[in-house]
Amino acid sequence: MRRRLAVIAVAALSLSACNANSSDGKEDKGGTEKGGTLSILTSASSVTLDPAKSQNLAITTLGLLVRRLTTWDIQPGKTAKVVPDLATDTGTPSDGGRTWTYRLKDNLKFSDGTAITSADIKYGVERSFAPELSGGLSYHKNLLVGNDGYKGPYGGQGLSGIETPDEKTVVFKLKVPYGDWPWLVSMPAFAPVPKAGDAGPQKYGQNPISSGPYQVESYQQGNSLKLKRNPNWDQAGDPVRTAGPDQIVFQLGQDSAVVAQRLIADSGEDRNAFGASFVPPAQLAQIQQNAGAKQRLVTSEPGALAYLALNVTRPGLQDLKVRQAIQYAVDKKAFQVASGGTVGGDIATTLITQGIAGRQQFDLYPADPSGDVAKAKQLIAETGRPAPTLTLLVENGATDVSQAQAIQQGLVRAGFTVNIKTADEEAVTAETTGANADYDLTLASWQPDFPSANGNIQPLFESTEVGNGGYNKSRYVNGEVDALIKQATGETDPARAQGLWAQADKRILQDAPVVPLIYTKNSFLHGSNVQNFFVAGFPAYPNYLKVSLKR
Amino acid sequence: MNFDVRKDRWAAAGALTVALFLLAAAFAPVLCAIEGQDPYTYDLDALDSSGVPVGFGGGISADHWFGVEPLTGRDLFAIVVYGARTSLAVGAGATAVAVVLGVLIGTTAGFFGGWYDRVVSRTIDVLFGFPSLIFMIALGAIAPASVPRPLLVVAVVGAFGWPSIARVLRGQTLVLRTRTYVTAAVAMGAGPARVMRREILPNLRATIIVYATTLIPGMIGVEAALSFLGVGVAPPTPSWGRSIGDAIAWVGTDPMFLVFPGGALFLATLAFNVVGDGLRDALDTRTAG
Repeated sequence: MRRRLAVIAVAALSLSACNANSSDGKEDKGGTEKGGTLSILTSASSVTLDPAKSQNLAITTLGLLVRRLTTWDIQPGKTAKVVPDLATDTGTPSDGGRTWTYRLKDNLKFSDGTAITSADIKYGVERSFAPELSGGLSYHKNLLVGNDGYKGPYGGQGLSGIETPDEKTVVFKLKVPYGDWPWLVSMPAFAPVPKAGDAGPQKYGQNPISSGPYQVESYQQGNSLKLKRNPNWDQAGDPVRTAGPDQIVFQLGQDSAVVAQRLIADSGEDRNAFGASFVPPAQLAQIQQNAGAKQRLVTSEPGALAYLALNVTRPGLQDLKVRQAIQYAVDKKAFQVASGGTVGGDIATTLITQGIAGRQQFDLYPADPSGDVAKAKQLIAETGRPAPTLTLLVENGATDVSQAQAIQQGLVRAGFTVNIKTADEEAVTAETTGANADYDLTLASWQPDFPSANGNIQPLFESTEVGNGGYNKSRYVNGEVDALIKQATGETDPARAQGLWAQADKRILQDAPVVPLIYTKNSFLHGSNVQNFFVAGFPAYPNYLKVSLKR
Repeated sequence: MNFDVRKDRWAAAGALTVALFLLAAAFAPVLCAIEGQDPYTYDLDALDSSGVPVGFGGGISADHWFGVEPLTGRDLFAIVVYGARTSLAVGAGATAVAVVLGVLIGTTAGFFGGWYDRVVSRTIDVLFGFPSLIFMIALGAIAPASVPRPLLVVAVVGAFGWPSIARVLRGQTLVLRTRTYVTAAVAMGAGPARVMRREILPNLRATIIVYATTLIPGMIGVEAALSFLGVGVAPPTPSWGRSIGDAIAWVGTDPMFLVFPGGALFLATLAFNVVGDGLRDALDTRTAG
């Protein structure tokens, strides 16, 4: 249930040079040319290949390797759709939305040639409950019947909420009706895992048995992940993946500024590459002056919400008035400029992001984008105490640090003292999602895992997401909000659910546990040989499943 | 001793440059007040919609003498003169730490000898081969936020700077210890503390001055390197090293952002080195020991 920028970057890639052994210039109906070696350049140093642990969107790295019951049909200019993948349809609900039945397509095979059966789906979902495999998207974990105390299949136990009446049929039993279930079964945990091929929770993720168009050829953490074709994948039964390149090489641990410079230069093998990390602001500015590179820049619609989380458990921030003062003191304009200016994103005032059905535009703390310092000072004065000294924890990347300084200078205007503390990405994630929270403020960014307001609100604000690896970085606990979330999650009528989510959005912001900053636009750069590279409205990431190379 | 630095034009130019930097650092608030800027205030109006400074040379104007910083619009002149404060203060502070440690450890090791000298000498050997920059980065990363950053940098950089001066002073002390006037003082009943203070240290003065001067640019460089790598003084405190680190990404679009802090660092380290060389020639310490 979690998705952060950095996590998404993990999804990605690298680049490399080619040894093209391809069928020459064969085009199929979708205009996808086959062959070549695609390189994907990413700042992430590792890739989580175990489906149970992965937080990948359906259209990024793991989508190349494993199929799920459903997947996403993401095309330029079209709304995101959930479509059948291994299953014949997106699911048949019964019992008022509590039971979902799927039937597998015919002739499905793993990369080792064995048939994919319903038991493999069940086993894959069961694995996601194993404590050794925590960290993956977990929206389904609270919903399935029999989840209480369930610790995964390694102790020999099955999950009672999944039934497999025959080799082709899977039935999910949910505790509550859940209308967005077809989206949940597109997540990596719903990829098939053959029990016979699972050598253990620590080992499986090194070379997972593949069901998608590619399989792992080699993986060296911090260096590269190489994918080659899976001979047992059948294009005819998989309309979503076009599988253009013969080989895909992720170059891991690349500096994002260097990646951008290489792609701007567009020479040699880098013509067959794209960057999975966002183009940093400095290179964005450079690209604006370079017509050749500008054509190869793809910028998303406003997608993720970048926000400032206020740790409400800290002494300085327990007072609502102080948190409200921060809402006014923050300089969103400076943050936007530090994020790359108008190509970096649009000023945000709500938690539910643009493009999500049912979003209501409102602003509880109306002010100029640069903030309202007088109002902030007045709120601080009303507390009768001086503005507190706050520690702002951020990652140590150049963009993060300049964003942090933008926040700092905004708050300083209203009398706050802000100390910036930097740490590397993993340390920041561990501290902000772990039990020991030694920070007052932190910067975060959140893209819903599926196009529903549920994905905007629940992972960040439900009390169950505090300190246990969840992304409630504000440590915000409010019984009223929890009840609203529960009610909205169980609501099967979309319009009413949307109304409840909008209500939750407002209710949460009344308590000011976060400051919405901008709806970020993500910019990606690709080489001149890369085709079918696009970013649709949702999600704000390129669709790896369609990318191909000009032959 | 002959302190006539003035005979050496390079050294004189270096000393003048050092003096200018010291003045700029000391009067940074005054200079910025004259310009009407400070190094912390954002000026988003000086930037275009993608965060690049508007205008010639990175936004050079009557308001912003060196232009502005991309993405923030902070005044680059103010950043450079306040950065001089950071660099010179850290450079001088770390040098002071290194010299004090080096003098204490080096002279005592040379004077007392024995197992103490052997321990000190091996420690110095280890420290010379120690990957100190990596250690400093690690230390900077794990130090809690409550430790004041500039003090930490001074302490860490200084703690790794003493071996060179200690080794030289140990050697010189070994020689001085056998001089007849030292032997005479000991024979007349002077204790080790008095001999050290009255007979040894005065003879090491020139060496200490020269080494201290040549240590400063190295210390400034280390501070800049740490800030460049993001583990030096915390933002927004201006630092040449951090500005240079930030500016690397902007070379293509805003080269002046690199030129000003980079030029300041270059000039300051060069000037200190030239002064140090001049002092060494003037004090002739190479033959004194």
